Amino acid sequence: MLLPAFSSVAPMTRNGFRPGSRGHRSTSRYTAYRGLAFGIGLSVMVGACAPGPATEASEPNGSELNMESGGVACGSGSISVSGSSTVEPVTTRAAELFEQVCGDTTITVDGPGTGDGFKLFCAGETDISDASRQIKESEEAACESAGISFTEIKVAFDGIAVVTHPQNDVPCLNFSDLYALLGGESEGFTNWKDAAPIAVELGSDTALVDGELTIAAPGTESGTYDSFIEIVLEKTARMRQGEGGAQLIRTDFSGNADDNVIIEGVAGSDTSIGWVGFAFAEANAEVVREIPIAKEPGGECVSPTAETIADGSYPVSRSLYIYLNNDKLDTNPALGPFVEYYLNDAYIEAVTQAFGTSGYVVLPDDQLATSRSLVP
Amino acid sequence: MHLQGSSRDYRSPIFRVVVVSSLLFSLLVLGVLVVDVAMGGLPVLGDRIGSFLANPSRSRPDEAGVFQGLRGTFWIGVFVVLLTFPLGIAAAIYLEEYAGDNRFSRMIDVSIRNLAGVPSVVYGILGLTVFVGLLNGPFGEEDSFGKTTLAGGLTLAILSLPVVMITSAEAIRAVPQPLREAGYGVGATKWEVVRHHVLPYAAPGILTGTLLSLGRALGEAAPLILVGAVRGKLGSRAGFFDLSQLGEKFTAMQIVITEYASKPGEDWVAVTSAAIVVLLMVVLSFNAVAVVLRNRFEAKREGRGRGK
Repeated sequence: MLLPAFSSVAPMTRNGFRPGSRGHRSTSRYTAYRGLAFGIGLSVMVGACAPGPATEASEPNGSELNMESGGVACGSGSISVSGSSTVEPVTTRAAELFEQVCGDTTITVDGPGTGDGFKLFCAGETDISDASRQIKESEEAACESAGISFTEIKVAFDGIAVVTHPQNDVPCLNFSDLYALLGGESEGFTNWKDAAPIAVELGSDTALVDGELTIAAPGTESGTYDSFIEIVLEKTARMRQGEGGAQLIRTDFSGNADDNVIIEGVAGSDTSIGWVGFAFAEANAEVVREIPIAKEPGGECVSPTAETIADGSYPVSRSLYIYLNNDKLDTNPALGPFVEYYLNDAYIEAVTQAFGTSGYVVLPDDQLATSRSLVP
Repeated sequence: MHLQGSSRDYRSPIFRVVVVSSLLFSLLVLGVLVVDVAMGGLPVLGDRIGSFLANPSRSRPDEAGVFQGLRGTFWIGVFVVLLTFPLGIAAAIYLEEYAGDNRFSRMIDVSIRNLAGVPSVVYGILGLTVFVGLLNGPFGEEDSFGKTTLAGGLTLAILSLPVVMITSAEAIRAVPQPLREAGYGVGATKWEVVRHHVLPYAAPGILTGTLLSLGRALGEAAPLILVGAVRGKLGSRAGFFDLSQLGEKFTAMQIVITEYASKPGEDWVAVTSAAIVVLLMVVLSFNAVAVVLRNRFEAKREGRGRGK
C-alpha cells in the first residue's frame, strides 16, 4: 500500500538504511542492475540541449504582400495543410520548394488521414485539405453548415499495386480472383486453391494453385485499404451478397499502417499477396513482384506503370486531390500564390519525386490544365 | 529432521544460471538493437551529422533532419520536469508524511495506482479535450488552434504524474522510521525532519522514479498524435530555445522517427536509423547525468550513515 500510517515503522528493505553496506557484494551488484535499467528506460532532456543551432533557414527579409521573387508571386503568411498521408509528401515537396522561393511563408503539412483532414478543414482550421478520395456527402454537409466553401483540385494519380513474392509466378489476377482471395466470402481461406471455386463461379479461368495464402495488407485506418475495397471488391461483393450488409473484405488478416512493414510481409513468404501504393512497390521492386491486373475475367492484363496509371488502363488506381478553402484565399495572401506555384513550377517534381526518388503519376496535360484553371 | 539436506544443493547454481542468462538475454537484445541501428545510421551520421541535427523535417533523405523533433522533445521534457516533478514529489510527501491512514487517503492511493495504469491514449484524449480546448483561443497562435507545444507538454506532464507520485512515495516510505524519531528526539519540527532527514535520504529513490517516468513520457507517441503533433512538414522556424514555439504547432523525436520510418527506399532507412541513434545518444547522455546525480546523493547518504 502506498499509505502506511505515518506512525508505523517502515520495515527494512533493500532500499533501506544500511550503514557501511556499500561494499557488500550483492548491494553493489544490485546497483549495477539498477544502472542498467536506467540505461534502457530513461530519456532525453539534458542531452537534447546539446545540438542547438539557434535558427535554420535564413529568411529573406523585407517582403511585402505580393512581392515578386524570381517571377513568383509570394505574399507572406503561414499556411496550414492537413489530410491524407498519401498526398502529404506531394504537398510537402511543393511547400518546401515554395518556401525556398518565398522565405516569408511558413507552411505546415500534416498527414493524419483524409477523413481527419476534412474534419479540420470543415472546422476552418486548415487552408488546404489533402485527400486521397473525393469529399463525402457527410463531410460536404459539415463544411456547408460551417459556412466553408471549397474548390476541389485534382493533383495526381496513385496506383495501388497488388504484390507478391518474386517466386510466385501467378501470371495475372482479375477482380474476380481478388474478390475470391480477399473479399468477404474468403474469410478463413488459408490456401490459394480455397478461392478457386468462387473465382470459377465468377467466370475466372485463372489457375489458383496450391500454396499457402499469406496476406500482408494495409489496415482499416489507411486510405489504401479503403480504395482497394472500393475499386476492386465492392462491386462484386454487392452483386453476390446483396446491397445491404454485404461483407466487403475478409477480416482475418492483420493490417498494417506502415507500407514498409507490408512490403516485408509480402517478401517474407513465397505465396504471399498484398497491396501497397505504387511508389512503395516500385521502390521495392527487387523484393516484391507486381501482379498484372485485369478488370474482368478474360480481360487485358495490365501491369502498373506510370503510363498505364496515367491513361487509366491499369484498373486499380485512384485520383489524389487537394481541397482549397475559398474564403482563406482572400484572407491569407500566401495561399493563392502557393497553390499557383504547386500546380505550375513545383508540380512535376512534387508529384513524381514526392518520396525523393519515387512518387506518383502526373495528370495528363488536359486534366492538369483543368486543375490549373480552378485556381482563382 | 536432519540439520543437513540429504541431497546436494543443485538449486542455487541453477537459479544463478537462470538469472545470469536473463541478464545476458536483455543485454543481447539491447546490443543487437544498438549495433543494428548504429550500422544503419552510419551513412547519414558519418556524412552530415551537422546538417542532420540542424535541419528540420524534410521530404528529401539527403536533407532530412531532426532539429524540430529534438526541439519539441526538449520542451516537452521541460514541462514534465517543471510541472510533474514538484507536483508529484510534493503530493508524495503529503501522502507519506502528513496524511493519516484513513479511508480517504486509501482511496487516493488506489486511484493513483489505477491512473498509472491507464493507457496513454486516454491521456491523449484528456489532453485533446482539456488542454487543446483550453488553449484554443486566448493562448494559442491564431492558426495553431490549441494544438501547441504547450498542450503536448501539459498532456505528457499529466501522464507522468501518477508514476512520479507512486515511486516518490515508495522512496519516502523506505526511509527508516528511527531516522525521523531521532530528528524529533533532538527537537526538530516536522518540516525540519522532512527537509533535512527524510528528503535527503529518499532522494536517490525519488530521482530514479522521476527520471524513469520522464523516460516514459518522452517515448509516448500516441497521446501526442491525438493532441495534434505534426507528422509531415512543420512550418515553424523557431530556434531551439524560442519561447514563441510554445504557442505554435509542434512535433517530437518519436513522431519524426515514425514519419521517416514510413517512407519508401533504402535512403530513408538510413535516415530513420540515424534519428534513432540521435535519440539514443540523448537518452544515454541524460542517463549519465541521472546516474551521476544519484550516486552523489547516495554517497552523501552513506557518508552520514558512517558518521553516526
